[in-house]
Amino acid sequence: MARWEYDGPILEIDKLSISFFTQRGEIPAVMDFSCVVEPGEAMGLVGESGCGKSTVALGVMMDLGVNGRIVGGSIKFKGRDLSTMTNEELRDIRGSEIAMIYQEPMASLNPAMKIGKQLMEVPMIHDGTSQEEAYKLALDVVESVRLPDPARILNSYPHQLSGGQQQRIVIAMALMSKPSLLILDEPTTALDVTVEAGIVDLVKELGEKYGTSMLFISHNLGLVLETCDRLCVMYSGEAVETGSIEDVFNKMRHPYTQGLFRSIPLPGADKNARPLISIPGNFPLPHERPPGCNFGPRCNYFEAGRCDAQDILMDVIEGDDRHASRCLKFQEVDWGAEVEAAEQTEATEPGEVVLNIQGMKKYYEVSASSMFGGGETRTVKANEEVNIEAREAETVALVGESGCGKSTLARVLLGLETKTDGTAEMKGREIGDIETTERDNNTLRSIQMVFQNPFDTLNPSQKVGTQIIRVLEKFGIGGSESERHKRMLELLDLVKLPREFSERMPRQLSGGQKQRIGIARAFAGEPDVVVADEPVSALDVSVQAAVTELLMDIQRKARTTMLFISHDLSIVRYLSDKVVVMYLGHIVEQGDTESVFSPPYHPYTEALLSAVPIADTSVTKKHVVLEGDIPSAINPPPGCPFQTRCAWKDRVPGDLCEREVPKMREMRSGNAIKCHLGDNILAEMEPVIVVSDGKAEVPAAKPAAKKAPAKAAKPAAKSSDGPAMPKAATLMDAGEDVSDSTKANQEEEKAPAAPRGKSTATKATAAKEPAAKAAASPDTSAEDKNRPPQMDKPSDPDNLKLISGVGPKLEGVLNGLGIYKFEQISKWKKAEREWVDGYLKFKGRIDRDDWVKQAKALAKGGAEEYEKVFGKKPR
Amino acid sequence: MEPLSSGAIAITIIQLFWPTWLSLVIVFAVSIYFKDVLGLYGKLFNSWVGMIGLGLVLFWVFTALWADYIATFDPIEQISGMKNKKPGTPARGVEDAWYLLGGDNLARDVFSRMVYGSQEVLKIAPAATLFAFMVGITLGLPAGYYTGRLDTFLSFLANLVLAFPVILLFYLLVTKEIVQTGIPMYLAAVLFLFPIIFLLTLFKTKFIANQRTLVITWALTLVLGLWAYSGLAFNADPLGVWTMDPNLLNIFVSVVFVNSPTVFRIVRGLTLDIKTRDYVAAAQTRGEGAWYIMLWEILPNARGPLIVDFCLRIGYTTILLGTLGFFGLGVSPESPDWGSTINDGRKLLSIYPHPALPPAFALMSLVLGLNLLADGLREQSLKD
Repeated sequence: MARWEYDGPILEIDKLSISFFTQRGEIPAVMDFSCVVEPGEAMGLVGESGCGKSTVALGVMMDLGVNGRIVGGSIKFKGRDLSTMTNEELRDIRGSEIAMIYQEPMASLNPAMKIGKQLMEVPMIHDGTSQEEAYKLALDVVESVRLPDPARILNSYPHQLSGGQQQRIVIAMALMSKPSLLILDEPTTALDVTVEAGIVDLVKELGEKYGTSMLFISHNLGLVLETCDRLCVMYSGEAVETGSIEDVFNKMRHPYTQGLFRSIPLPGADKNARPLISIPGNFPLPHERPPGCNFGPRCNYFEAGRCDAQDILMDVIEGDDRHASRCLKFQEVDWGAEVEAAEQTEATEPGEVVLNIQGMKKYYEVSASSMFGGGETRTVKANEEVNIEAREAETVALVGESGCGKSTLARVLLGLETKTDGTAEMKGREIGDIETTERDNNTLRSIQMVFQNPFDTLNPSQKVGTQIIRVLEKFGIGGSESERHKRMLELLDLVKLPREFSERMPRQLSGGQKQRIGIARAFAGEPDVVVADEPVSALDVSVQAAVTELLMDIQRKARTTMLFISHDLSIVRYLSDKVVVMYLGHIVEQGDTESVFSPPYHPYTEALLSAVPIADTSVTKKHVVLEGDIPSAINPPPGCPFQTRCAWKDRVPGDLCEREVPKMREMRSGNAIKCHLGDNILAEMEPVIVVSDGKAEVPAAKPAAKKAPAKAAKPAAKSSDGPAMPKAATLMDAGEDVSDSTKANQEEEKAPAAPRGKSTATKATAAKEPAAKAAASPDTSAEDKNRPPQMDKPSDPDNLKLISGVGPKLEGVLNGLGIYKFEQISKWKKAEREWVDGYLKFKGRIDRDDWVKQAKALAKGGAEEYEKVFGKKPR
Repeated sequence: MEPLSSGAIAITIIQLFWPTWLSLVIVFAVSIYFKDVLGLYGKLFNSWVGMIGLGLVLFWVFTALWADYIATFDPIEQISGMKNKKPGTPARGVEDAWYLLGGDNLARDVFSRMVYGSQEVLKIAPAATLFAFMVGITLGLPAGYYTGRLDTFLSFLANLVLAFPVILLFYLLVTKEIVQTGIPMYLAAVLFLFPIIFLLTLFKTKFIANQRTLVITWALTLVLGLWAYSGLAFNADPLGVWTMDPNLLNIFVSVVFVNSPTVFRIVRGLTLDIKTRDYVAAAQTRGEGAWYIMLWEILPNARGPLIVDFCLRIGYTTILLGTLGFFGLGVSPESPDWGSTINDGRKLLSIYPHPALPPAFALMSLVLGLNLLADGLREQSLKD
């Protein structure tokens, strides 16, 4: 066996460089990459596509293919250099010591082999266990990844499982041999958000249970925040910044990291007041990298003659926990400076109703055999009772997971399908019945679409210019060829692309540029309605912001009505005026963006909001994980479509949910909800997303006053749950400069939330107990024996962040435990330290970082004393 | 004169092929020089497989073109006393001339027949394949695009043709009695219409906003197309330029007839795949007609697999023609085509192997070249 004992880090990558050798010569994919993964630690690798993050993973697996070669540096796994191992040794390690989970679950499973056999192979090959033992182990593992009916699962083929279940099986397979290191390469990208939330939860839990180290590769900063302890940001083959989650998220020291955070829609961003700031320019191709800093040409702080003069090395940032940045100027740049506000715009006033859909239905007939007719036909109810009204210049977002019917709705509006029942009117004219081939030119022109996949949206064998001119020809714009040519060039200007692009073929364009052409094409005929089907979801983060801004800019100027289809609630919140949430063909909730994003929610909206990862350490989310998968639209559940996964179902008396489809109900807050829950129960709902810094969370803050009295009744009933917490302390950043009024407002809002304890207090705790609602378990009191003494919030709380190892997030958690002063920490005994350590799942980090000694120094003489004892300034 | 040694034979043959070599060198030099601007064809010169394939194919193409300059004798000229003579035997009664690859059992020059045979093969195979593609595409596109009853019907027909034993079908189609019923001619009348229909729709859909170009292209297509049509299908060309030997017509029609169902199925499958792309939906939402979408949005993007299949199919057709010639079907008894020549040589193979082997090698090298070319094209088109 290849297992050996080693005390040091699980994985040490030192100055790794990997190149691919092709016909064009050497292409460096990874350069000077270093990282260390300690036992039990989860390391996140973040970057855009093509930045080399997957190459690092393949390098660790020593699976670079025929073209790839390690050209410098070393990869040490448990102290042994992987590149010196023989093929036999490597084969022994792969799958037993290092396991990898890939993006596409179906591609990782052998479709011709039963799940059980595939799982049993792992211990049988690596440990030579007997068949019976292996089967038992497989049963255990399948159970631990929380799949129902393990015996049946083991006896089925991969295609009989859903995507989420398949990914759980892949995770189970990786865990069969209890690996020391688990590499996850975008494990949830192919899954729906609510399913993703379940998988992320599982990965975290298993990591803690088995103490496995993880290398988590993702393009999604929010996901990394939820799963990892440390992260490494990569750009164009290099690591540009690495450090603990708290350090990198809150005190980023590289312009690229900063740019990334500014270009993702975090709660609080607003399309008019605080628009996103995109990173200018494009990602350099591997053979076109600039000299010096790779990010230089796109960087705001670029200094010619300095940044492009030499190769730039990683530089450690003093005082932080292994925090380093690949930037020459990180000490000079004022990182706290307010973002240079991008152009602010006035909110547009919506005008007349342009699109009016009432009671629209779309059913598909699916027959068993198309060849000879016969066989029974089954009906897929893709849309059921859809009512939407959209006004001029308004953005209406359609939100839901795959299979919810949002794309079908779009197809009906565009005439690619015809409706079954109801009405769909545009400017008073019925359009739901008319197919594209029968529509007149004016109707065609006035409703257009922006498609999702940039690689699919343009005809690959026609020049870009020709394709736009064809649209103009079709819509009869411009009298002559030269006029149309001129108009085409103007359209290129409109989407901010150089005019030369008209002569290019689509394959010469990047994804973002193709999407811009798609937008130009959609707006060529000056349409009244544009349906945008996930227009940016396939683009890289840094490009997303630019394309989103462009789309909204054109829409704003042309006063176009936009139907924005998306599964990404962050972006929906950012840009839409109205939100429509769909589930299994039904609209389950709709209303103004503000009212939909604040309670009362439909239970599905609540789950959806909770599932979306948010890349902000100051955000705390309520933890709702849905069980199971979306039911099939061919065989929908009776009654309420959401009843099979609803967490609130038991609050509805009788079996009403299973019998009747609920009616749409107007709420006082302005949204309409399709749910049987009583008003009093809906009123109990708490906001899912809570931001704890001074910037008032716009949508959540407004309705707070209205709801506070309704919720106030609850604490009494639930106050026995969980550890008692001081009022509103959970999430407040004592050290932050918060104006009194906002603070008061937030306290009022959060006060009732606090006593629910573990379920809302911190994500760390919530993750531990998936059934967080039943937090009041008998053993809490036993655990609490060692709990450090707590205090009410003093008027002058200490800035706990001065302790190295405590970030704003942890400070919030500590405050939640009633700890505000250095003195308190300095008095912790071993038992108490262990209690807090266990509570935070730190695996001894408190002792390692020696919080008590730091706190003692700080309590005694503040920063000066600290400097005397430790020889450096506190943070 | 003395008979030539094997080395001398080889040298003489290589020298005789000089027009072919010269053309090959020119084509390769020009192509390699301009390979960056030649698209897929230019990329072929990045792969050895593709270059070898192209070289073999072009070798036979140029040989067919310059056959009059390469061949030493007329393909049907018989010289008494040269029957079944060994390679390198001097031709009796002719100064400075040898039967380089010997004589066949009718005392004709094997080498010259092989050279002229390339003309016969290359005359039919590519043209028949092209026609099969026109038919397959014109029917496969709507079948895949509309699906439903039309697709069910057309696929059923295709399966019917494919299920019939090919050789038997050929025997039937070229039998005198069947020919007299006029069936092959009617088939030709139907099949030869497809290219005209194809071109007309192609121009109609493209030049919707440009009436002048549309009229010009239509007029050209109609005049040229119907002219050729009258000559090829009914042998009724008033000017007598387009004409086809009735035997050849039978063969041609049969080859198109058995090849088009396979092409139909490939095109239908590709259409089913490509019609789900977003750019097709985009074309639909701007109100493009069905045929525009099929011909300009779907077909150009299916070209990769189709070009590869085209090369492979010329190879199959060549073999098919060889087989037909071998059975003596459809070609005149004196035709120098490779299939018939192999069949003629077969009878005395154990005593005189030399008349059968050269055409067999020629056939093999051409088909190998086509297959390698297809491989090269596939490899390069995937890289894009």
